Amino acid sequence: MKLSSTKPLIKIDEETSDFASEILKRGEKIFPKEELKRLLTCIQCGTCYGSCPSGRITAYHVRVIMRKAQLGLKEEVLRDENLWNCTTCYTCQERCPREVETTDIIRLIRNMAFEAGYVKKPHLIVSRNFIQTGHSIPLRDQDKEKRKRVGVPEIPPTTLTYPEALKEVQILVEATGFKEKVLKLLGEG
Amino acid sequence: MKTLETPRVGVFVCECGGNISDVVDVKRVAKAASEWENVIVARHYTYMCSKPGVELIRQSIRKRGLNRVVIACCTPKMHRKMFERNVEEEGVNSAFLEVVNIREQCSWVHHEDPEGATLKAIDLIKGAVKKVEKAVPLHPGKMPVKPAVLVIGGGIAGITAALRVAEAGIKVYLVEKEPTIGGQMAKFSKVFPTLDCAQCILTPKMGEVAENPNIELLTLAEVASVEGVPGDFKVKIKLKPRGVDVEKCVGCGACNRACPVETVSDFDERLGKHKAIYIPFPQAVPTAYVIDFNSCTKCGKCVEKCPRKAINLDDTEKEIEINVGAIIVATGFKLFDLSEYGEYKYGTHPNVITSLQMERLMNVTGPTSGAIVRPSDGREAKKIGYVLCAGSRDTNKGKPYCSRVCCLYALKQALIMKEFMEGLDIWIHYIDLRAAGRRYEEFYKNAQIEGIKFVRGKVSEIIPDGNQLIVRAEDTTLGRPVENRYDLVVLCPPIVPSPGTAKLAEILKIPLDEDGFILEKHPKLDPVATKREGIFACGVILGPKDIQTSVSEAEGAAAKAINFLIQKEKIIEPNKAYLAIPERCDACRECIEVCPTEAISVASDKVEINEILCNGCGACIPACPKEALDLKGLSEEQLMAEIEGVLSGSESEIKIIAFVENEIAYTALDLTGVARLSYPSSIRVIPVPSTGRLKLKHILYAFAKGADGVMFLEAPEHEGPFGKAHAIAEERVENYRFDVEDYDIDSVRIWFSKVYVPDWRKLVKVFETFDRMIKDEGPIDQETRETILKKLEEESD
Amino acid sequence: MAKYAFFLGCIAPLRYPGLEAATKKVMQHFNIELLDLNGASCCPAPGVFGSFDLWNWLVVAARNLSLGESLGADLTTICNGCYATLQEAWHILKEDPGKRRLVNEVLSKINRTYNAKTGIKHVIEIFVNDIGIDKIKSSVKKPLDGLKVAIHYGCHFLKPRKIRGQGSSEKPHVLEDIVKALGAEPVYYKEKLLCCGAGGGVRAGNLDTALEITARKLESVKEAEADCLLHPCSFCHFQFDRGQVELRERKEIEFNIPVVHLVQLVGLAVGMDPKSLGLYENEIPPTYLDKLGLR
Repeated sequence: MKLSSTKPLIKIDEETSDFASEILKRGEKIFPKEELKRLLTCIQCGTCYGSCPSGRITAYHVRVIMRKAQLGLKEEVLRDENLWNCTTCYTCQERCPREVETTDIIRLIRNMAFEAGYVKKPHLIVSRNFIQTGHSIPLRDQDKEKRKRVGVPEIPPTTLTYPEALKEVQILVEATGFKEKVLKLLGEG
Repeated sequence: MKTLETPRVGVFVCECGGNISDVVDVKRVAKAASEWENVIVARHYTYMCSKPGVELIRQSIRKRGLNRVVIACCTPKMHRKMFERNVEEEGVNSAFLEVVNIREQCSWVHHEDPEGATLKAIDLIKGAVKKVEKAVPLHPGKMPVKPAVLVIGGGIAGITAALRVAEAGIKVYLVEKEPTIGGQMAKFSKVFPTLDCAQCILTPKMGEVAENPNIELLTLAEVASVEGVPGDFKVKIKLKPRGVDVEKCVGCGACNRACPVETVSDFDERLGKHKAIYIPFPQAVPTAYVIDFNSCTKCGKCVEKCPRKAINLDDTEKEIEINVGAIIVATGFKLFDLSEYGEYKYGTHPNVITSLQMERLMNVTGPTSGAIVRPSDGREAKKIGYVLCAGSRDTNKGKPYCSRVCCLYALKQALIMKEFMEGLDIWIHYIDLRAAGRRYEEFYKNAQIEGIKFVRGKVSEIIPDGNQLIVRAEDTTLGRPVENRYDLVVLCPPIVPSPGTAKLAEILKIPLDEDGFILEKHPKLDPVATKREGIFACGVILGPKDIQTSVSEAEGAAAKAINFLIQKEKIIEPNKAYLAIPERCDACRECIEVCPTEAISVASDKVEINEILCNGCGACIPACPKEALDLKGLSEEQLMAEIEGVLSGSESEIKIIAFVENEIAYTALDLTGVARLSYPSSIRVIPVPSTGRLKLKHILYAFAKGADGVMFLEAPEHEGPFGKAHAIAEERVENYRFDVEDYDIDSVRIWFSKVYVPDWRKLVKVFETFDRMIKDEGPIDQETRETILKKLEEESD
Repeated sequence: MAKYAFFLGCIAPLRYPGLEAATKKVMQHFNIELLDLNGASCCPAPGVFGSFDLWNWLVVAARNLSLGESLGADLTTICNGCYATLQEAWHILKEDPGKRRLVNEVLSKINRTYNAKTGIKHVIEIFVNDIGIDKIKSSVKKPLDGLKVAIHYGCHFLKPRKIRGQGSSEKPHVLEDIVKALGAEPVYYKEKLLCCGAGGGVRAGNLDTALEITARKLESVKEAEADCLLHPCSFCHFQFDRGQVELRERKEIEFNIPVVHLVQLVGLAVGMDPKSLGLYENEIPPTYLDKLGLR
């Protein structure tokens, strides 16, 4: 992601939107609203970033992302490829003195980035694996061998063994709209 | 109580120099009044509150033998007291005086509707006339108060308060649970921002306490129970055994040297030890040794050595009782326990200490004689890190508030160490540096100049590494994660109320706030009084603060206590609830349930209402299923008469009765008048102490006698003077709303509003809306009204 | 007899089936009935699919939970990631009937419902609550004397503590209790609370970043001179074990720290054969077995 190096100025009245409200609205479907709303009470103390394993080694900066969400710099945040460096370890959310649900908000922002197409190829592959097999990774021949060696059935009793089960999962990913998003992003829509 | 004489009423209508008479036709009003039964005089005059106006009233009383006076003018909150004095001087009891508001709540708000305003004025005055006809004389009571004050807590706040009260010539009992007074301040090294030595400014005050003949000092003492009433508290105090006679002990220390037992020192914040017989610090007051009976083995070596035979190993707990008129609570604080704040490793690693522990390390009389060392190995600590907001401003695991003093005391400790020790490297980690007092910002700048280092960013984690600690945070000003290594980490935890506060609050019957500090009577205007009369508070028990503010509060609390007692007696207002019909009472206790001041008790199978404790809200009266209770100043008879009067004075089409709580809601209503806003003239106000005074019967009577709508304007629970009575009022009205349907009255004809003074503008909308609703509903038909009246009569037989 | 349906997830069955086998054996040893959960899918991974589409994540998770509900049994898992998804989904759907209704509307398309009557327990909870530390201790046949164990809790068993309810996330002790009951010695190391680096889709999307975090973790374990790294999570197992090969290949860093799942260590201590526990199926050989004389 490249920020224009000639323009540090933020014209708040022109360049920001109610990004925080958008995140809260999306999140209401999954998380309790009063808890997500605490994003608005962040005092930028830095405990989150101070605890972050990725923060120490990449440009992923969770405190700044929370601030950008508060201020309304939506595009900057969605396009930030470092958004995908969070391991969701939850240490930030655990320690935040204002109980801001940082990790869950990062996931919500990622949902918006995914929808907007700001996504990494390997993630699309994983998504496709899931849609096609019900698992995030494939079962290779060497894995089947390993299974036999340790004395469990060659194919595990999951969607890999039960095609009806796989069909159920496939109906669900269609009904939730996930399949459509993934196929569109893969260019296979 | 029945009146024996025939009422002779005088009605005086003020023109207020046009303020009233420009809208209300005062001539017509006076004429209408003159035609009512018992009205002997009905006059109007330009300014009733002026000298000639008052003289007019007094003359009329004398010449026409008036025994009831109704003055219709501005809000009673302006001149009632003055009118009362004058009529009393003419021999008319103040309970026979009614002041009717026809300015703020009439002429000023109905300037577009002079006809409506005039009819309303007539109604309101008739209501007052009917009410005052049924009045009985009331006389304020007096109660002698005990000229003594109990101060609980002997820290700087308690000491200051005790000295001020004693200097006013009033006896003080100073109760302190430790063996010496001095509180937490005695542990400090120096204080900010002056860097005075804490002990040097504190110990002279402690000496003054010891020497003041009006102060009786009780140490190792705790309050066990408080009975009685404000002005006359009976307090039981538990005295723990000292083991040493304070009168005999001269503090020579021979016992201490002989004692073979050592125990961990609480005064040294568990960093040091002392003997089982010890003196907390050299300047302790009383200057006497004390035995820690938890660790004493009773070997008797001290007894052998004591030249004054002052030691008694068999000393036991005692209880005494004292009698005081007022109480001041100054019980101070302790620090929040950070053991559960796992990421900071307090209690896990010895080199993570609290700020109070640091005060002891820094103090030359402390466990290391002032050497800053690592507890783990006793080696000098060269690099020290401060963690501010360790658990403050934290709704997650700590306390949600800012502890106010930590930023300054961290700077103070750092500055002292920098000044007196060579080669120390001190870092302060903070979220915000709060330096809002006098000379505090300058103090911060000084700290920066002296080379103390700062990193903005709350510490996320402390990682032990042998004897050292790694502190992790973000430097938010740079936006980079940082780590630093320290020999010693000082945590600054939030201040919390001292242990035992909750129990003491229960004993004193005073409420605490959500963080366990004492709840002040009013945060802005009455900050050192508790919610209970006669009990005051000062210092950190009201919330975290610095020493200067604690001392100011102590001076304030002392002044309040002195004022409370200086008259030697206190006036008891007569407008109280009482058991009017004792035969009906069967001590069912329903009234006791609702009383906000616990003024009602049971004696000989009947209830008894304590005149001093009763605050006159009237909430108990509807609670009595036998209707045995009544209220002086607004009796059942008076209330019914007023309702009838207000509804029968004029031929106005639609009449809405608004029962208005007399402090908060009434004030808000007056403000709409001052602002000259406009609302419908159908609204007729009947002031009540709280709408909790009202029974269903009163509402039905109002409808029966001509009201088309009834409103209740009530104070909010925490802003009004009567606490839970306000909330009870709201609950009751919700029920009345449905009850009236049984009488064919639509529940929309009842309206309840909680009124905050700042919301006074909103009242206009409220009145307009309700007035329109009632006009849409139309007047209640006569048949319904008559049916209600009949039913009420049947029920009362 | 306590009964659970074994939720496999993806990593254990498809990459480290030794963990699956060890779990079955150990549970059987302690008389815990472990049912097969037929037709389960990926949980779906909380940091991966939760990052793409949370609504889809919730619905698929509800389906997996409903399979357990049909069997009348709580699920159990040996992966913190699966635990995170299924425990959180159960929590959301238990607390909010409105959300439950919306989810069931979608599940009705496959003729399923989920009423939050059954949920999920991590295998740690089975050890502590169903079996009990005392029983574990008394079942030990081969005390792991002298074995220095670096304990890694992982992220999602303890956090967020307000939803998981497993006690303190900064000062936990349950794994130490079990390790001590087995006779081994937990060792302190500075990065004890650090994430393995794999979660949140970072392993898939940015392997080098994930590996750098893993390297920091392993550095700290090495500094503490532990004999092995113990954990309760299949995904961490993958990251620590396969990750050491990747660190060797991509960054030329060698650690050779053996990685062992909790169920495997318990199995070892109660006398099971290392081979049957899948201890030889890792990339990094179990050198600690030499120290214990258990090769």
